[in-house]
Amino acid sequence: MNTVFKWFNDRLPIVNTFERHLSKHPVPKKVNFWYLFGALASVVLVIQIISGIWLMMPYQNTEEGAFSSIEFIMRDVDYGWVIRYMHTTGASMFFAVVYLHMFRGLLYGSYKKPRELVWIFGMTIYLVMMAEGFLGYVLPYGQMSYWGAQVIISLFGAIPYIGESLEVWVRGDYYISGSTVSRFFALHVVALPLMLIALVFMHLVALHEVGAGNPEGIDIEEHLDEDGVPLDSVPFFPYKVLNALVGIGVFMTVFSIIMFFFPEAGGYFIEKANFEEANPLSTPEHIAPVWYYSPYYAMLRAVPDKLGGLIVMAGAIAILFVVPWLDRSKVNSIRYKGIFSKIAISLFAISFLTLGYLGTVPVTELRTLMSVICTAIYFLFFFLMPIYTSLETTKQPPKRL
Amino acid sequence: MIKIFIIIFSVYFAPCVFSAVSAPCGDYGECDDYSYDLYNNESLQKGLATYINYCYGCHSLKYSRWGRIAADLEIPEEILFENLIFNQETKPGDLMTGSMIKRNAEEWFGVAPPDLTLVTRSHSPEWVYTYLRTFYEDDSKQYGVNNLVYPGAAMPNVLSHLQGKQILGCKEVPVIASNGGVKRDENRNDITEEKCGYLQIKESGELTQAGFDDLIYDLTNFLVYVGEPAKRDRERIGWYVIFFFIIFTALSSLLYREYQKDYH
Repeated sequence: MNTVFKWFNDRLPIVNTFERHLSKHPVPKKVNFWYLFGALASVVLVIQIISGIWLMMPYQNTEEGAFSSIEFIMRDVDYGWVIRYMHTTGASMFFAVVYLHMFRGLLYGSYKKPRELVWIFGMTIYLVMMAEGFLGYVLPYGQMSYWGAQVIISLFGAIPYIGESLEVWVRGDYYISGSTVSRFFALHVVALPLMLIALVFMHLVALHEVGAGNPEGIDIEEHLDEDGVPLDSVPFFPYKVLNALVGIGVFMTVFSIIMFFFPEAGGYFIEKANFEEANPLSTPEHIAPVWYYSPYYAMLRAVPDKLGGLIVMAGAIAILFVVPWLDRSKVNSIRYKGIFSKIAISLFAISFLTLGYLGTVPVTELRTLMSVICTAIYFLFFFLMPIYTSLETTKQPPKRL
Repeated sequence: MIKIFIIIFSVYFAPCVFSAVSAPCGDYGECDDYSYDLYNNESLQKGLATYINYCYGCHSLKYSRWGRIAADLEIPEEILFENLIFNQETKPGDLMTGSMIKRNAEEWFGVAPPDLTLVTRSHSPEWVYTYLRTFYEDDSKQYGVNNLVYPGAAMPNVLSHLQGKQILGCKEVPVIASNGGVKRDENRNDITEEKCGYLQIKESGELTQAGFDDLIYDLTNFLVYVGEPAKRDRERIGWYVIFFFIIFTALSSLLYREYQKDYH
């Protein structure tokens, strides 16, 4: 070991950390593609931070400057369009991989003992991401930024007694204005990213403490070799890193196809109305959130009362936090759970996707009815979970991977 | 597991009939087909000329700069200044902010004519292409014209001397049966009915219909360009980036396979 490195290593746990978390950190040797989305999410987080820093340089956080500074980035900043499309595509892809990552958790019981905290940190990341995405969407100050913010902020107004003052407090004004843009900018680029990074760190620390799960839902710690290393494990570095690298390659190919050829993704990643500057005097014909919020927006619209809708929407996210205590099954993985669990999770996935679609289209009577049904299925999946997971007959998982 | 999912999915979606969203081109229904060609500089140049001559008096392109357009469309700056820029103080780096004063415009039209830099992005190229060709005579309106795509548009049809005057007329159209086919009588002739709301040329203009369509094609093409000047670069660079990641994926998967041999 050269002396410079030794000097540092005596003062900083470089080798120790590398061994503990990478070269000697055991991970299950057999997992499937579902286990790649966590790594992909961290790749997108880095993309968002780097592209975000560059976007900040020419962006103007004022009412007059916001929209035109985005067009300045798109036209006059060298390769500004690359940075901007990277950030807009990244936002949607972040949610795409996080949704898949969360669904993996539901499929294979990744939240079950002893990984409850990993799940809770993860859910908190998701919650902060939703806020981060919303704040970011307001910054270009297009029509959908404005009217989307109008809808979301007015939800605070539904809270009894403090609602109206809360609305003013959030906006920093009596209507959405330059003060809203500049405070959303501060939160979007400093406050929430700091929280996100801290939470991702905690998510990983907790994960490394309890070890990664696997699609069989079994505990690899039960069969150790003479050195105390799980028999069915491989070191994280280089094996899983290389595995992730392949996943990252495929993911970045898809990412680039969208970013360079379909950056608006047919109006799902960048909505058409957002190419018009915010105009408080003209409401767009149809206000729809970006796709990653649309399931919750459909739930909000399914309830006729505003406060009721807000409670349902908040409840839909809150209930995800307690999943570790709702699942009473003896097994972790869907592979060995009974038929009820399989039907339940299928219905749940279909309802969530349907809600996602319904949240992006204008309301009709039939669609409202469907939103109500799907919202009911969404909640029943969780409410009935303690019952169907404990009643059904499960299969015996194998002892080894 | 996957079987269960597919069964539930198909049973569930069978009764789901989603109602149609309102037509993208207003009263006109579906927009006319349009495919832009950003590599056709001649078309883009003609579109720019049409824009400056007929639209720019009212509609600015305030996010775009003169010099950038000249460079992208390969127009020598002297020609640009001689033929298209009427204000002698303009410099190539200036934004195309237009010449109309907002307060005057509001007085004349009720609303200030919008900036059109991003019109093909906030609507669509098809929409713009159809909109500009669907003005018709309507005496109830301030400027004597109305538009099928955007009924009640507060804009005079500045191109009417080229296109001619259109009116909404009626014509015999085949009756469509509930199954989507054309209804026929016992002699297998199509059954027709008179329907109204179709555009007809009342008085022809300086251009033929095809000539006018070409003019609007070029104008729309230019607006697609100006909506996102980096689009050509974007698609060109995109191929290299995708190629890079395909190679990256291939190499990393070869490397991963090599390492997998350690524990298989």
